[in-house]
Amino acid sequence: MTKKGVLLLVVFIFIIVSFLPVLTLLIKSLFPNGNFSIENYVVLFQSSRTWILLRNSLSLAVVATVVTLFLGIPLGILFSKTNLPFKELFTLLFTIPFIIPSYMIAIGWFYALAPQGILTRILGTHVTEIMLHHFFGFPGAVLVMTSVLLPVVVILTMTYLGLVDPKLEEAARLSSGWILTLRKISLPIISPGIFLAGLLVFALTLGEFGVPSFLRYNVFPVEAFTQFSAFYNFGAATAATIPLGIIILLIVIVERYFLRKRTFELIKGTGKEEKITIELNQWKVSILIFVIVFAAIIVFIPLGSLISKSVSLVACRETFVRSMDSVLRSLVYSSIGATLLTLFGFFLGYLLERKVFHFAWAIDSMAFFLFALPGTVIGIGLISLWNNPATNFIYASAAVIILGYIAQYAALGERMMAATYAQIPTSMEEAAQITGVGWFRRLVGIVAPMAKRGLIATWLIGFLFCSKDLGSTMMIYPPGHDTLPVRIFTLMANSPEEIIAALCVLMLGIAFLPLCALGVIFKKSRVKS
Amino acid sequence: MRRVYLFFLSFLLISSSKSYLSWAEEVVVYVSEDQVFSEPILKDFEKETGIKVKPVYDTEEAKSTGVMNRLIAEKDNPQADVYWANEPIRAVVLKQKGISAAYFSPNAKDISAQFKDPEGYWTGFSARARVFIVSAEGAAPTSIHAYTDKKWKNKAVIANPLFGTTTSWIAALFTVWGDEKTKSFLDRIKLNEVKISTSNGESTTFVINKQFAFSLVDSDDATNAVRNGKGVRQIYPDQEAGGLGALILPNAAVLIKGGKNPENARKLMDYLFSPETERKLAFADCAQIPLHPGIQTPKDVKKIEEIRPMKVDYETVAKKLQEIQAYLKDWVGY
Amino acid sequence: MILKIENVFKTYNGTAAISGVELDVERGERLVILGPSGCGKTTLLRMVAGFIQPDKGKILIENKTVSDNGKCFVEPEHREVGMVFQDLALWPHMNVSENLAFGLKAKKIPKSEIKKRIDEILEKMQMIPFKNRFPKELSGGQQQRVALARALVMRPKILLMDEPLSNLDFELNLALRREILRLQSEFNTTLVYVTHDRDEAFSLATRVVIMEHGQIQKIGSVKDIANYILEMSKKF
Repeated sequence: MTKKGVLLLVVFIFIIVSFLPVLTLLIKSLFPNGNFSIENYVVLFQSSRTWILLRNSLSLAVVATVVTLFLGIPLGILFSKTNLPFKELFTLLFTIPFIIPSYMIAIGWFYALAPQGILTRILGTHVTEIMLHHFFGFPGAVLVMTSVLLPVVVILTMTYLGLVDPKLEEAARLSSGWILTLRKISLPIISPGIFLAGLLVFALTLGEFGVPSFLRYNVFPVEAFTQFSAFYNFGAATAATIPLGIIILLIVIVERYFLRKRTFELIKGTGKEEKITIELNQWKVSILIFVIVFAAIIVFIPLGSLISKSVSLVACRETFVRSMDSVLRSLVYSSIGATLLTLFGFFLGYLLERKVFHFAWAIDSMAFFLFALPGTVIGIGLISLWNNPATNFIYASAAVIILGYIAQYAALGERMMAATYAQIPTSMEEAAQITGVGWFRRLVGIVAPMAKRGLIATWLIGFLFCSKDLGSTMMIYPPGHDTLPVRIFTLMANSPEEIIAALCVLMLGIAFLPLCALGVIFKKSRVKS
Repeated sequence: MRRVYLFFLSFLLISSSKSYLSWAEEVVVYVSEDQVFSEPILKDFEKETGIKVKPVYDTEEAKSTGVMNRLIAEKDNPQADVYWANEPIRAVVLKQKGISAAYFSPNAKDISAQFKDPEGYWTGFSARARVFIVSAEGAAPTSIHAYTDKKWKNKAVIANPLFGTTTSWIAALFTVWGDEKTKSFLDRIKLNEVKISTSNGESTTFVINKQFAFSLVDSDDATNAVRNGKGVRQIYPDQEAGGLGALILPNAAVLIKGGKNPENARKLMDYLFSPETERKLAFADCAQIPLHPGIQTPKDVKKIEEIRPMKVDYETVAKKLQEIQAYLKDWVGY
Repeated sequence: MILKIENVFKTYNGTAAISGVELDVERGERLVILGPSGCGKTTLLRMVAGFIQPDKGKILIENKTVSDNGKCFVEPEHREVGMVFQDLALWPHMNVSENLAFGLKAKKIPKSEIKKRIDEILEKMQMIPFKNRFPKELSGGQQQRVALARALVMRPKILLMDEPLSNLDFELNLALRREILRLQSEFNTTLVYVTHDRDEAFSLATRVVIMEHGQIQKIGSVKDIANYILEMSKKF
C-alpha cells in the first residue's frame, strides 16, 4: 500500500476510535427523545448553578496554573542550569506525584492531617484541624493539583532551556549577570515552552475529576457525574460538559494560532556545544535547604503518610491476595495501550511533522481536544457508541478500556513522535527514497531505528498515563475487568485506611520502574546533545 | 532484547487470561453496596458454587460512577445478570424503566412483605436504618421533630438531601405525611438553622467532634462510631407506641431482564437472601440488620423484631423521590 | 537526451521560486547549475529527483514524462537517479557497507552481487578499510566519499549533487573534485551539480547554467560562461 493510503487508513481508524464516541454523545444530547431539541442546553444555561460551576472550574484551573508556573519555572532553571547538588535526584523526586492517579496525593494529605496522621503528630490537632477544614475545598484542590502537575512545568522548562543556543546566553553574560540573562534572554526565548506547560496544566486541571471529587470541590467534571448518578440524566450530563468543551476548544485554538506562529532561537538537531552552568556559590546551601523543604512538603508528606499507613499485615494480605488480578490487568492493559499509542504516534506524528496532508493540523487539534477533555466524558461517549448488541465484543471486553486510553492519550504519542521526527532531517528519508527504497521499507529501515529513543520514551510515557487512568476506565470497565486505580477508587467507600494506603503504594511501585527508565533515557539524550 | 520483551508480554497475557478461561460458569453483578462489604460475600459465593462472579462496583454516593446508570444505558444490550442495590429506591426505578425481571426466591419467603416487591421485581435483605447519632452523655432527641424544636436550634446536622439515604428519608416523609406537612416541616428545619453536611460520614464526624449535638445518619455509620469508642451512642427515633417509626432501608437484589446467565443469577440471589449471608453482613463492619426473623446478631446490632419501622411503600417513595428533585434542589439552594 | 525540463514553474506562498525554466541534459555530460543562494537551483534539483512537483511544466527522463503540471507520474524511488545531499544524509545507525547495501537490498539484488558491487566501489575509492565503520567514526572527507559511493553503487542514470563540498576546507575540496571527475568518467554517468562556487563550477563542468531569481540567465560551455561573467562584471 502506498504511503498516503496507509496514513489515511490510520487517520480513519483514529477518528472511529477516538472522535466518533464524543460526536455520538453530542448528537444524542441534541436528540433527547429522538427529535431535535436544545432543551438540555436551555436548562443548562438558565441554571445559576452552571455559572457557579464555571467559576469554580476556571478559578481552580487559573490559580493552579499560576502557582505551578511560579514554582515550576525556578525549579526547572535550578535543575537544568545550575550546579545544585543532587539535581537529578530532585527531578525524579518531584516527578513521582505525577505518575500515580492524582487523587492518591489527596488521600495522602488527608491521612497526614487526620487525628493519627504524621502531620498531626508534629503540629498538634489544633493546627491540623484547621488545615483539614481548608483542605476540603479550593485551597486543598490547588495544593494537590500543584504538586501533581509541577513536574510538567519543571521538565518542560528544563527541556526547552536545554535547546537554547548557548551562544545567545554567552553573549549576554559578557555584559550582565545570570539573573538578568535569564530574565532578558533565556526565559523570553523559551516562552513558548513555558506557555505550553501552562496550557497543559490548565487543561489537565480543568479536566480533573478525582481530586475535586475527593475534596468535595464542585467543578464541571464532577457535575457530569452527579447528573449521571443522582439524576439519571444522560442528556443533562452531556450538556454539562459543553461549557467545558467550549473552553477546551478555545485552548486548542490559542495553542494553534498563538503558539505555533512564533519563531524562536532554539538550536536545531543535536548541537554539540558545551552548556555553561550557573555557579550558585554562597547561595548553594540555602537553596539546597529550600529545595529539600519544598520536596518534603510536596512529595514526602503525602507519600510518606501513605507508605507509613500501608505497613500492616491486614493491608498486605488484602493487597497481595485480593488485588493481584487488578494489578495484573493494569500491567497488561497499560502495556497494550502503550504499544497502540506508540503505533498511532508513529504514524500520526509522521503525518503532523512531515505535513503529508493539508488537514494534518485538524487531526492534531482533534487529538489535543480529546487529551484535554475529562476522561469521564470520553467514557460516556464510548458507552453511547459501543453499547449495542452488534459491537458487544468490544463493549464487553477489555478492548473498550484500551479504546478509552487511545482516545484520551493519542495526542501524547502523536506530539512526542512528531518532536522525535523533527530531529531527523528529511534528507535521511530522501536519501533512501532516491536509492529506490519504498516508503514502508524506509519507515522500518531508516525512520524507526533513528527514532528508537523517541519510540521507547513514548511507550513509557504512554504506559504511565494508561496505568494511572481513572476517568474513562471507571465509566466503562466491563464486569471483572477493573484496573488497580479503579479498584482503589471503588474500594474507598468505608474501607480501612491501611488497605487503601497499601494499594496506593503498590500503584506507586508499578509506575516507578517506567519512570526510572524514562529518567535514564532523558539523561542520556541530554548528555548526547 | 525484543524477544525478551515479547516473552514478557505474552506471559502476562496468558497468565491474565488463564483466570477467565478456567471458569465456564459465570454471573455478572453490578454492585452499589460498598465494595469492602459486598466483595467478601461474592468471593464466598464463588468459592462455594464454583461460579465465577464478575462484578462492577459503585463508588461512594456523591462520586458515583452510577452502575445504576450503566444498567439504564445498557437496557438494549444488557451486560449484568444481577443488580445489588444498597437501598430499594433504585430497584424500583429499574422496575419502572423495564430493566428488571421478576423472581421470587424461595430463600426470601420469611422476609416481611413490606421489604419485597409484591410482583417480585426486587427483594430486600440486610438493612440499614435511619438513626440518630448523639453524644454519649447528656440530653438526646427521641423524635425527628427535634430538628424543628427551638431547643436544638443551630445544634443539629443533616446530610445533603440531594444524595443518598437522606433523599430517601425525605421522600418517605412525603409519602407518610403528605406534601403540605412535609414541606412545612422542611421549612421549619431551615428556620431552626440546621447545618447541611455533604454526607452522612461528615455528619457523624461533626457529632463525634461535638461541633453539633445530633444528626440523623445510617445505622452502620452510628454503630461503627460507637464500636470505635468515639463517645457517641445511637438512638432509633419515634419508637413509642403509635409513633412514626425509623426508616428501614434494606439492600435489594434485582434480576436483570435479558441477562446472559439467568440460572446463575437466581443462584446468586438465593445466596444473597440466605440467613447465612444476612448473618455475615450483621457481623461485618457494616453492621446491617437481618430481615429474616431470629438471626443471631452482635450485641450492638438490633434485631428487626426489636425495631418499630416506618410504614412506607417503597414504590411510592421512589416515585415521590423523582417528583421532589426540583423542590429539593431549590430547598438546598442550588 | 537523458533529461528534459520543459517550461517549469514553482511558487511558494506567492513567491516564484522557479519561473519558466527550460533545460536539456545530454547523456554523459557534466552540467553545473551555478547561482547565488535562493536562486532556485536546489529547488530545480529536487524537482528532478521528484521530491517536489512543479506547479506547471513537464520533466522527462529518457523521454519518459516523470511529472507534468503538478502531477507525479514516477515516484523518486523509481526514477533511477542518484543524489548526494548537502548534509550527506548518511544513516547514523548503519555502518558504511550497510549504508551502501540498503538500496540494493530493496531492489532484491542477490547477496553475493551486493557484496561484489560494494567491494568494487569501495575499492575504487580506497575505502575498503572503513567498510565496517559508522558515519560518526569517519572524517569529513571519508563521509563525503561514502555519500558519493552510496549514490553510485545504484548505477543511476543521472547523479544529482547538491553543494556537497561546501563545508570542506580548500585542500579537501580540490581532492574531492578530482575524485568526482574520475568516478564520473569511470561509471560513465550523467552529472547534474548545483553550487554557488564559481571555481568549483568551472573545474567540474562540461556545461554551465547560470540561474538567478528562478530563471536561467545563460547556458554555455565553461569558456562561454567565463566570458559572460567577465562582461557582466564590466557593466557595473
